[in-house]
Amino acid sequence: MSPHNDPEADLKAMETEILNAIQTCINCRMCVRMCPTHEGWVTQSAFGRLAAINLHLKYGLGSEKELSRLLFSCANCRRCQVRCRMLSTNATPSDVIIKTRQLLARKALHKERQGA
Amino acid sequence: MKKYVKNVIPVPHLYMRENVLEKGNIPGVAGDKAEWAKNLNLPREAEYMFFGGCGYQFMRYVEGMMKAAAGMEKVGFGREAGIGISKMFGKIGIDLPSITAKVAAAGQEDTYTRILVSAVRVLRKLGLDIGYMHEDEPCCGSPLYYSGFLDDYIEHAKENVEIFKSYGIQKLIGLIPACTASLRDHYPKYVEGYNLEVYHFIEIVAQRLRKADLKPRLKERLSVAYHDPCQLSRYLEIIDAPREVLASIDGLELREPHAEQCKQWSTCCGGGGLEAGSPELSERLGKRRIEELLNTGADVIVSHCPACVMQLKRSAQKTKADVRVLDLVEILDEALQ
Repeated sequence: MSPHNDPEADLKAMETEILNAIQTCINCRMCVRMCPTHEGWVTQSAFGRLAAINLHLKYGLGSEKELSRLLFSCANCRRCQVRCRMLSTNATPSDVIIKTRQLLARKALHKERQGA
Repeated sequence: MKKYVKNVIPVPHLYMRENVLEKGNIPGVAGDKAEWAKNLNLPREAEYMFFGGCGYQFMRYVEGMMKAAAGMEKVGFGREAGIGISKMFGKIGIDLPSITAKVAAAGQEDTYTRILVSAVRVLRKLGLDIGYMHEDEPCCGSPLYYSGFLDDYIEHAKENVEIFKSYGIQKLIGLIPACTASLRDHYPKYVEGYNLEVYHFIEIVAQRLRKADLKPRLKERLSVAYHDPCQLSRYLEIIDAPREVLASIDGLELREPHAEQCKQWSTCCGGGGLEAGSPELSERLGKRRIEELLNTGADVIVSHCPACVMQLKRSAQKTKADVRVLDLVEILDEALQ
């Protein structure tokens, strides 16, 4: 692990970056049906995943484990990201999903270091 | 001890992380990475350094692992909660030598490293001065990035850049889209003073083919459906180059799927990282993509990424489709003979 001067500030900064990106999403849902993993549930799309991230980070909705399952059901194929850039507000959904995975992992590693 | 991490990262991804950090490749094989290049006399110093990546060099092991994992599932290992395949990964990680031995014993030819040889042959034919780092070539670390281990990734990237510096490399040619995207687009964000010029194989080939006095020609006519790998068409944004190369081959007819299913809108085949964490979902995606490609009526499906080729091959087998799946490099190499 690379040493952080202030891991908690790092985590906060990462969280802010993620939430700011989600703010640019205008819920147009153009990324829903076109997501290759979409099979009927809105959480099987970039819009649903971003909404879940937002609700979890802001209001603590859902456990980290549940959120992680949503994030890792994404193929990171960036189809949503291209569509968002070309037709909507360029919320970079695919990057946000990867960043949130990184946030969850960092949080968990931080907890483990504290516990050790 | 790792309960918090296990909670948020699927176990197969944790194994991938261990493998990359400890063994320097995705499947965690301790072996001769550069074996395929033994007879090619590739120098360690050249204008362009060839970056083979984990994909083709280790794909046969990954394929073996996946097959073994699928086999064990049938015996009743549940996949729920990500335990099934991950346990298998663990077992396979330990027991890998026997599996690779089995693969070798079955007399199966390694179709993946052959692609690397073809790629080098194509580049040489186009007059490029190609080098290779042999056993010193590191893993780019991109699985770490996508699995969430950003700190590990950054550290790994910094170490790699030192290796590149020690070799005095200035220009890299990547063959795997994911490695190339990682080296071209992610490294500059995390490593200060990173100034390598990174190209993807197909860019260079398209560029050189335009000028070269070569006429790639196939012996028999072939209709081909091209599957755009996500990492190539949307991460690296290389969409026209593979089409240009395919179009330059005499005797090859390129058939595209529906406009909403190709180029930058190409549907994901479900390969790559998704396979590790959500195998069932990945399988469904694969089947859907194969159908889209079969609708073009082509004889051969061509892609240009080891993960896509492996996934499409397996999906074609599962749907019992009468179609061959090849890598673009194989076709091009054959056409240039």
